[in-house]
Amino acid sequence: MSASRYTLDDYNALGDDDFRALVRDFLKECHPPELRNPVKRLHWDEAKPWYMELSRHGWLAPNWPKQYGGMGLSASKQLIYVEEFENFGAARTPDHGMMLFGPLLIRYGSEEQKAHFLPKILSGEHIWCQGYSEPNAGSDLASLRTQAVLDGDEWVINGQKTWTTLGGDADWIFMLVRTDPAAKKQEGISFLLVPMKSKGVSVKPIVNLDLQDEFSEVFFDDVRVPKANLVGELNKGWSMAKALLGFERIFLGSPRQSAHAFARLKGLAQHYGVWDDPIVRDRYNQLWLDLEDHKALYERFADILRRGETLGADVSLLKLNQSELYQRISEFMLQIAGEDGGRLEPVDGNADLHAPGIFLTARAATIYGGASEVQRNIIAKNVLRLP
Amino acid sequence: MALDEERLENVRMLRESAAAVADRSDLSRVRAQRFRQPGFDRAVWRQMGELGWLGLRLPEERGGAGLGMAELIALTEELGAALAPEPFISALMATDMLDGARLEAALTGEAVILAAWQEKPRQLDGEVETSFVDGRVSGRKLQVPMALGADAFAVTTPQGVAIVDAGDPGLSIEITPAQDGGHWGTLTFNGARGEPGRAPRESWLDEAVLATAATLLGIIDATLERTVDYLNVRQQFGVKIGTFQALQHRAVDLKQQALLTRASIEDAAAIMDEGQGPAAKAASSRAKARASDAALIVTRQAIQLHGGIGYTDEHDIGLFLRKAMVLAPSLGDSALHRRRFAQFQTQADAKEGLPA
Ligand SMILES: Cc1cc2nc3c(=O)[nH]c(=O)nc-3n(C[C@H](O)[C@H](O)[C@H](O)COP(=O)(O)OP(=O)(O)OC[C@H]3O[C@@H](n4cnc5c(N)ncnc54)[C@H](O)[C@@H]3O)c2cc1C
Repeated sequence: MSASRYTLDDYNALGDDDFRALVRDFLKECHPPELRNPVKRLHWDEAKPWYMELSRHGWLAPNWPKQYGGMGLSASKQLIYVEEFENFGAARTPDHGMMLFGPLLIRYGSEEQKAHFLPKILSGEHIWCQGYSEPNAGSDLASLRTQAVLDGDEWVINGQKTWTTLGGDADWIFMLVRTDPAAKKQEGISFLLVPMKSKGVSVKPIVNLDLQDEFSEVFFDDVRVPKANLVGELNKGWSMAKALLGFERIFLGSPRQSAHAFARLKGLAQHYGVWDDPIVRDRYNQLWLDLEDHKALYERFADILRRGETLGADVSLLKLNQSELYQRISEFMLQIAGEDGGRLEPVDGNADLHAPGIFLTARAATIYGGASEVQRNIIAKNVLRLP
Repeated sequence: MALDEERLENVRMLRESAAAVADRSDLSRVRAQRFRQPGFDRAVWRQMGELGWLGLRLPEERGGAGLGMAELIALTEELGAALAPEPFISALMATDMLDGARLEAALTGEAVILAAWQEKPRQLDGEVETSFVDGRVSGRKLQVPMALGADAFAVTTPQGVAIVDAGDPGLSIEITPAQDGGHWGTLTFNGARGEPGRAPRESWLDEAVLATAATLLGIIDATLERTVDYLNVRQQFGVKIGTFQALQHRAVDLKQQALLTRASIEDAAAIMDEGQGPAAKAASSRAKARASDAALIVTRQAIQLHGGIGYTDEHDIGLFLRKAMVLAPSLGDSALHRRRFAQFQTQADAKEGLPA
């Protein structure tokens, strides 16, 4: 990493306004202009220049502690980071490594694993994907069947994962596998790290509702990896995955997506000539308040993490609220667009005005990372303690 | 008002023949036409002509079938449930404006002639500016569905209807691809040659509005059927997901939307079959407002209830959402129709001597 004026020892020492100004300058100076406001989620080859730029300045992992090469940002600074990235229209890079796998490894990985894998995420050498879901194990993840059997010094993996985001771009997959078929379903699951280039791994892209090949099916046919690729304890993968869900939910509960959509709302209303319509304005204001309140909620959860405490089941509420707010904003956008809500391609090629694209993309947010219905079940049971 | 025996029989026969032309259980034809040009089947179009659909509302003395709105909504509902890509409603609007050989070709399905009437986004009633002077048409028309498949357009102007051939050098057609795999055309006329057509019947636009609402109703019902089927087969946690009360209640909420939409549309058809005027306009708007909103609610929730597979292009459930995205705002979105309902219902009530 070549240090720059954007590379600081302690970002948290800056006041919020100074930090915000720093982020703005950073984006203006370092974000490749041609990648701004992409119409779709970028594949690795497209996102790479931006990823490498983030990497060069040490800005790739705002949520990781400093000692592992992250920015070590406080909750409120992370929020500013997210807000400014969204307002600017910064491209989203493949982030499973930073957001999910990194925190898993920092918490449960061996020292060798951390030393080996974390820097390779930061350098862009390893792009990660998440291999949890299977065709028959979605909401009921614990019923997963992809199997890993120890054969000498190697795990032999057979089975199938699905809905694997950026499966076609990734170099590695962190996956849940069944290592004890005889145990109760939650108790025979382990975490394994598998190179996507391994013999026996095949990837079949799936076209999503927005007509992008963003996720894939991944098949494992006698795939062999070293015994040392196990993360944490054998057969303890489920409780690790559950702990990690906290990270996933706080990430998916960050105001990122809602802020992204909301930042485009006014421009959209102006484009369609309805910005001065009092009914439109009232709805806009409602969503604005919803977003501000959501940010406040997010900060509360992010603070818990910053204090090093474990997130409770109530983090499900954060994910639920964010995904549903994102959808409400996108639905309002569709309404504003009128007939253009049926367009396949953005008006004048301007992604900011592409209400139907945002609307379709937002459909997924209440499905992945635990569907809304499942989040409500969790909250009812584990927060409200309903019978 | 209940339909008499004869009309019930018409409705039954139309539904049956619709199912034979556009099968709601097999969307392979729909998929094959998506994102292609012109995006629909001429063979199916001719079949529609043979079945007398293209003149369904036209009086018998003009070569039509002279059927009522109850019949039209039954047919368009079936076409909606099967996601038929053919621009049927636009063609119905056009036949109203044709005469002679043009009319005949349109009724038999030999020719595809579409209506070009809208000039601004979110426009329904109101002035048009396209001019038709000395046999020449100039101006711009928007949102003509499947315009690339048309042989000619019936163009509304303050000087009367003009029929313009699609290949006329004075006409340029700009195509906007749509989410449902079809497209719409923006037609720019620059001194294009037009021949005079005839003024459409007064109820022409409201009939198209209600027919579009019924198309959405077909989408709603088909989406709900498929979703309920899915709740009955998909298993998680060792049980069918339809076992979960949260999902049962959601499905019931969607059924409620479907029933309200049907009630509104069938009521509007009965009112329109009784006569024209503000009450009929109010009724068509009421139905379209309901159908536009309900279709988006139901198709959106259907994705949710399908989980990950619902977010793929491979699974058919998404096709219904995409169609709803195109049709819900077409011929007026729900906000426009709520306003229009209030306006005409107020007039209708005043006519009846009711307090405003
Ligand atoms: C865009 C996208 C990206 C994804 N990326 C990844 C990825 O990178 N890696 C990965 O492993 N997975 C990924 N997923 C998969 C995602 O986690 C699953 O889709 C999700 O867990 C739901 O599972 P399912 O699709 O099997 O739906 P199902 O579990 O079959 O759910 C169908 C419906 O039933 C409801 N339901 C299920 N159980 C209950 C219950 N007990 N009570 C009430 N309702 C219930 C659900 O809420 C849903 O509405 C992704 C999904 C999407 C859409």
